[in-house]
Amino acid sequence: MPRDIRLRALFWQTATVLFLLALWQWSAVTHPAPYLPPLKPVALAYLSLLKPGNFMDTVFPSLSRLAIGFGLAVVLGTVLGTALGYLRRLDPWIRPVLEYLRFVPTVAILPAALLLFGATDTMRIFVIAFGSVFPVLLAAIDGARRGNALLLDVARILKFSLAEKLFRVVLPGALPSIFAGVRIALSIGLVMMVISELIAANDGLGFYILRNQRLFQTANVYAGVLMLGTIGLILTLGLLSIEKRVLAWHRGWRGLSDARS
Amino acid sequence: MSSTGKATIFASRATTALKGVMGVLAAFAAWEVVRQTGFIDKRDLPAVIEVMEAAYSGLVHGDISSALLETLQSWISGLALATVIGIAGGLALALLPGLELATRPILEFLRPIPSVALIPVALLVLGIGTSMQLFMISFAAVWPVLFSTKAGVESIDPRFLETGRVLGFNRAERVMRILLPASLPYIATGIRTAAAIALVLAITVEMLTGRPGIGFYIENVRLNGLTAEMWGGILVTGIFGYLVNALFVGIERFTLPWSPENRDA
Amino acid sequence: MSQPLLSMEGVSKAYSADAQILRDVTFKQGSNEFLAIVGPSGCGKTTMLRCISALMSPDSGSVFHEGQSFDDPPPWLSIVFQDYNRSLFPWLSVRRNVEQGLRDVARSERDDRVSEALTAVKLDHAADLYPWQLSGGMQQRCALARSIVTAPRLLLLDEPFASVDAQTRIDLQDLVMDICERMSLSALLVTHDIDEAVFMADKVVVLSTRPATVVEEIPIDLPRPRDQLTTKETPEFLSLRHKVYTLVRQQAQ
Repeated sequence: MPRDIRLRALFWQTATVLFLLALWQWSAVTHPAPYLPPLKPVALAYLSLLKPGNFMDTVFPSLSRLAIGFGLAVVLGTVLGTALGYLRRLDPWIRPVLEYLRFVPTVAILPAALLLFGATDTMRIFVIAFGSVFPVLLAAIDGARRGNALLLDVARILKFSLAEKLFRVVLPGALPSIFAGVRIALSIGLVMMVISELIAANDGLGFYILRNQRLFQTANVYAGVLMLGTIGLILTLGLLSIEKRVLAWHRGWRGLSDARS
Repeated sequence: MSSTGKATIFASRATTALKGVMGVLAAFAAWEVVRQTGFIDKRDLPAVIEVMEAAYSGLVHGDISSALLETLQSWISGLALATVIGIAGGLALALLPGLELATRPILEFLRPIPSVALIPVALLVLGIGTSMQLFMISFAAVWPVLFSTKAGVESIDPRFLETGRVLGFNRAERVMRILLPASLPYIATGIRTAAAIALVLAITVEMLTGRPGIGFYIENVRLNGLTAEMWGGILVTGIFGYLVNALFVGIERFTLPWSPENRDA
Repeated sequence: MSQPLLSMEGVSKAYSADAQILRDVTFKQGSNEFLAIVGPSGCGKTTMLRCISALMSPDSGSVFHEGQSFDDPPPWLSIVFQDYNRSLFPWLSVRRNVEQGLRDVARSERDDRVSEALTAVKLDHAADLYPWQLSGGMQQRCALARSIVTAPRLLLLDEPFASVDAQTRIDLQDLVMDICERMSLSALLVTHDIDEAVFMADKVVVLSTRPATVVEEIPIDLPRPRDQLTTKETPEFLSLRHKVYTLVRQQAQ
């Protein structure tokens, strides 16, 4: 994009954001209502969430549960999915069970998790992992199954062992599909993180938002939501940059074949 | 095709179905094994047959079925609202580049917010009630429709539009006769994704605010210690989720036989 | 050596009752021999190659490599496939692609042998590029380097020049002949290009239409080194080409 067009875009984007903020502030001042706090307390509450003490009580518990649950889901989904996709003969055996489990609305499992694990971190990590494992698993199965059969012939000629075939041929070939699954999994993981804290927790961002809503500390509620948006944005961008690095070969490959066709 | 060919296809389908049934039975067996190991209290993990009985009697005697109907109602209205707003918004963003540019930072920031986090906000503004439930479901479900509509319109081959111009279509005709039909496969996929999200939101709102529906049912029977009923409710919810997806795939196959997604199937 | 390098004895293969691909294929290939197999398109050449490399086992008959039969590709055999853009690992650089054949070799020796192979195919300047950054001919040279880096005794070439443009094809033909000669490598070239078969091979095996069987083996006693211009203008070349052409055309009818 040429520079002046980019500058003009930036101008309009800033203008829109400022206009909406001004509109918010104007209505908060002229029509005061409990659910419409002015901008200043919201900003202050947001900044205070970043103070070390508050951060450790509120943001950190959420993040660590998400990291463990989502991490488990990614590792488990990738490993299992790659193996299952490679062993095509297993597919008819597991397909109906998988097709059922993937469409269970993940929140429905929450009461069961509460029953089995109580209101513990294990329960929260479990629901985060359960919710985000299916997109990764199914994407990995799909990617591994649609892999390039000729490369497996090459691997046989080059005397690859089974593990080498899985990790050096099938897995790299399935990675583009797996990353697409991981992106979906991340947004589901975030949702499950919040829900598990809304329904039963004594720390974390979901708990913070719910408690402040009950205490009518509206500015804090909005600050908590903003913090969740920030976390979602940062994690999405981080994931995209990892993907860009890991899949550089894939984008080049596709770009070239697009240009040819 | 020769009759032996048909017989072979039938036999291979029968084997596939049999393997699938065996897989399901193996899952039931695994459930029973977990039960027997005693890691988890047996009262919390009833036998598969008890769960099925609870699900069946709930469906027949009306507890689960009436809860499902409630959920279905709010789900459909939320999804319908999200579809209308999403398509209109997606069209607007795709056709008005200035609008897209100006609102991009806001949309990019709103999108990754987990929609359930807004439930407390919605409670503050709208209180507990139908409008809050409707708002939450459609707010969460609008994004996939919006972005897939936009992607669909942007993916249209400009030659289609040139053809429309040659045929003398005006702007409105171009939208109705070319842009919308050509982006329907994208929109359909977006609506299918939105349907699943809307279902999750409907259930979540029911669980958190006690609105009648399957989510409230599951949470309520758990609080009353009726574990078989809880698992039965989850089982039925899963089947419902599966049917919702199957319904949308079926509609897409039927109404969009020319869509690239349906051609090879 | 008394045993031939490769011998196919009565090899048959069918995918189903109505689809027999190979019928009683029998031929032998000696050491240091460049063999070309030609036949009408779709006659089952690729299936035969998969049987030869033990990627697939025949329904009846046997494939012997120096008198032994194998269930898995023997270690001294390598293949260059037609589909270069699907037979290279797209996520590995050229150098790493070539290295895949030498995973058990010590690092220092491996680096030397990889560089040597890359020099042999004139790809040393592109060692750190990825397959998508290469032209078709360069990708096929990379696949060729990967095949020769293991120092094989038998090089199978599955229509390796079919997907590149005419000039590149000529360059690759010269390169392959040159490498086979310098490394005293036996090669088995499957192709539908009769000029190419006659020009490159010591012996041409003509196959029938499906189910494929050997129609005739024609020794090509053109002197080496062969030249794209002068060899192809000699009366001997033209008469051999005429003979093979006639046989293949008869099959197609």
